[in-house]
Amino acid sequence: MSRTILEVTDLRKHYSQRRGLVSRLTGQGRVIPAVDGVSFYLRENETVGLVGESGCGKTTIGRTVLRLTDPSSGRIVFDGRDITKLSRAELRPLRREMQMIFQDLDAGLNPRMRVRDILREALTVYERPSDALITSRIHWLLEQVSLKDSKLANFPSELSGGEKRRVGIARVLAVRPRLIVADEPTSALDISIQAQVVNLLRDLQRDLGLTYLFISHDLPVVELVSQKVAVMYLGRIVEMGLAENIAHQPRHPYTGILWSSLADKQSTEVSLYARGGAAAEREHRTWGVFDFEQPASGCRFAPRCPLYRDKGRPAVCTDPASEPQLRDVGHGHVVACHFA
Amino acid sequence: MDAPLLAIENLRTYFYSRAKRAFIRSVDGVSLGVARGETLGIVGESGSGKSVTALSAAGLVTAGPGVISGRIDLQSNGARRNLLDGLENYARVTEEDGRVMAVEKDERGWRKHSETLMAGVRGKEIAMIFQNPRSALNPYSTIGKQLVETIRLHTSLKGENEARERAIHWLDRVRIDSPRLRFDNFPFGMSGGMCQRAMIAMALSAEPSLLIADEPTTGLDATIQSRIVELLAQLKAETGITTLLISHDISVIQRLSDRIAVMYGGTVVETGRAAEVLAPGAKMRHPYTAALLASIPSAEMIRRKSYLQAIEGEVLDTIEVPRGCRFYGRCNRVTEAIRDNCSGHEPPLGEVAPGHKVRCWLYPTERNA
Repeated sequence: MSRTILEVTDLRKHYSQRRGLVSRLTGQGRVIPAVDGVSFYLRENETVGLVGESGCGKTTIGRTVLRLTDPSSGRIVFDGRDITKLSRAELRPLRREMQMIFQDLDAGLNPRMRVRDILREALTVYERPSDALITSRIHWLLEQVSLKDSKLANFPSELSGGEKRRVGIARVLAVRPRLIVADEPTSALDISIQAQVVNLLRDLQRDLGLTYLFISHDLPVVELVSQKVAVMYLGRIVEMGLAENIAHQPRHPYTGILWSSLADKQSTEVSLYARGGAAAEREHRTWGVFDFEQPASGCRFAPRCPLYRDKGRPAVCTDPASEPQLRDVGHGHVVACHFA
Repeated sequence: MDAPLLAIENLRTYFYSRAKRAFIRSVDGVSLGVARGETLGIVGESGSGKSVTALSAAGLVTAGPGVISGRIDLQSNGARRNLLDGLENYARVTEEDGRVMAVEKDERGWRKHSETLMAGVRGKEIAMIFQNPRSALNPYSTIGKQLVETIRLHTSLKGENEARERAIHWLDRVRIDSPRLRFDNFPFGMSGGMCQRAMIAMALSAEPSLLIADEPTTGLDATIQSRIVELLAQLKAETGITTLLISHDISVIQRLSDRIAVMYGGTVVETGRAAEVLAPGAKMRHPYTAALLASIPSAEMIRRKSYLQAIEGEVLDTIEVPRGCRFYGRCNRVTEAIRDNCSGHEPPLGEVAPGHKVRCWLYPTERNA
C-alpha cells in the first residue's frame, strides 16, 4: 500500500467578522466556523474528492492544507512533517511539492506576460537552470498539457478558456509538485472542454504519480476521478468512503440528497412534488440554505433533514451535547449521523 | 396549426470584439419558432450564440456596434408584430468575402427606434429571467416593492392593496416560505435560490405571453438547481406559459423542453422534439449533439472509470463565414465520401424525419434549407 502523503487532524478555521464601531471597540464579533474539526488523509498517487454546497468550507480546507491560509487549530502533516506551525521561510522549500489549481482561470496568469514568460518564471522560482534546459522543459510542459508551441507568444487574454486552464496546469507542473489541490478545476469551462481537462488531469496523475485533493461540486466528475470522496456540510465532513459507495450506497441523508438532486434534474418523470402532495411541498419549501449565523444545536443538518422529520423529530438530533461524530460503518466508510 | 407565438427568421446579430479587432457573427442566420404553450430549449456552449439569440428577441442588443437583421415575429393580441421592423434603416453593414468589414450605425436613432418597437412588449409580452438573479434585482428596494411595481405597470391591477395581494400570491406560487414576511426582504438578505424564485415571480406577475429563461440555474448550487428546475416544471404545468429556455446544461434542457435546438457557431445544427433529439442511441444525430451528450459522464463510464469522450479543439469565434461546415475541424465523423462537402460547403438544415432537422452532410435529405 502506498504511503500517506498528507494527514489532516481536527482542522479548524474560524473567521471572525466584526461589523461596526461598537463591536470593534468591545472586541466582540461573530465567529464563522468555516472549517470545524475536519480529519482526513491522502495516500500517494490517489485522488480524494471533496464535495458539498458552496459555503460548506471545501475551498477553505484546500487553502489551509497548503498553508495559503493559516488554520485556527488542528494539525497538518505533509510527507511525515508537521507543517502546521512552519514559518514562511520554512515553508518555502515545501511549496514546490504542494501546489494549487485555482477555480479562476486567470489566477496566476499575469495578463502582461506571454505564455513563454509565465512558464519561464515558474521554472526559475526554485532553481536556476540554463537557458537550454529551460527551453527543453517548456517544451516538455507544453507536451504534457497538449498545447501548441505557437501559443508561447500569446498573452493570456488571447487564449480561450481551455487553453488558459492548460497553461495554468503547466505552470503548476513546472515546479514538479507531488500534491495538487485542484479547486473546481473544470467549473469555469464548457462541457466539451471540461471533459478534455478531466482526461488531462487523469493522464498526468498516471504519468507523474501525482496526488490530488479534488474539490468540486460536479458530482459525476468527482465520482469518476476519485478513489475516495468526502462529503462536507457546514464546515464538517459528514460522510467519507470509497467513491462508488458514497455515490450509490450513501449512508448520510445529506449525501443521498446531493446525489439524488442530480438525478431529479435529469428525470423526465412527473415531479416528486406533483406526486407527493403536501409533505413534498413542505420539503420543497423548507429546503433553504444553511446559515452559519444560526447554527443548529446538535446535528447541523437536522433542520433540513428528511430523516429527522420522518422519524418524528427525535430529541437526540437537536441535543447540543450530542453532535453526531464520524463512526466507521465498515470498509473505511465513515458517517456522522445518529441513524446511519 | 396556429402560427407560432414567436417566429425568428434568419436572425443575424454581429458584435465588434475589441480583443479580436473584428466583427463576430454571434448569431449567423438562425430561424426558430416557438409554438404557444411549448418550451423550446436552446442548448450550446459559450460562444454558440444561444444567449445572443435570446437577447435579440428581447430587444436587448443595443450596446455599441451590435447590429441585428432578420425578422422576429411576435403574436400579440391576434396581430403579428415584427420586433425588428425598420431597424435596418439605422445601420449599414459592409461585408466582404463573408467578413463584416464595417458597420455604420446611427446609435441614437437605432436605440430610440428599438425602444419604440419594444414598448409594451418587453416586461409585458416578453418577460425574462437571467443567470445571477441577485444582480437583476434592485438592491435598494424590497422584493415586495419591486413586485408591486411590476404588477401595477403591466397588469390591470392598479391599486396599491390589490397589487400587494397579487404580489404575495406570486411569492407563494414560486414556493417562497412565509411570503408575507418575505415581501419586506431586500435581495441581499436572501439566498441565490430565493432570489431566483423572486425573479421568476416578478417575470410571471406581468402575465407575459412569452418567458425567456436565460441560464436560470447556472451559478446555483446543485441541490438548489434541481429545485429551481422543479419549480419551473411545475409552473409550466400550472400556467402553460410559452418558454424560450437557454442553457448549457443538457439535463436542465432535457427536463423542461418540448423541443430542442442545438446551436453551434452561431447556427442551429439540430432541432426537433426533445425526446427524439436526446433519445439514447438515436441514429440520425448531428455529430456535435452526439459529442456533447458523450462528454457527460454516464453511470456506465463512471463505473468502468473510462475516459471521457472529449470534443477535441475549441469553439471558434465566427469572424468569417466558413467555407464548409462550422464543426468540420472538430468533427470525428467525417468520411472520405463526404469530406469535400464538409470542408467546402456549409450543409443545409435538412429534415431527416418529420419535424427533426440536422445540419450535416452525413444524412441525405431534401434540400430544404
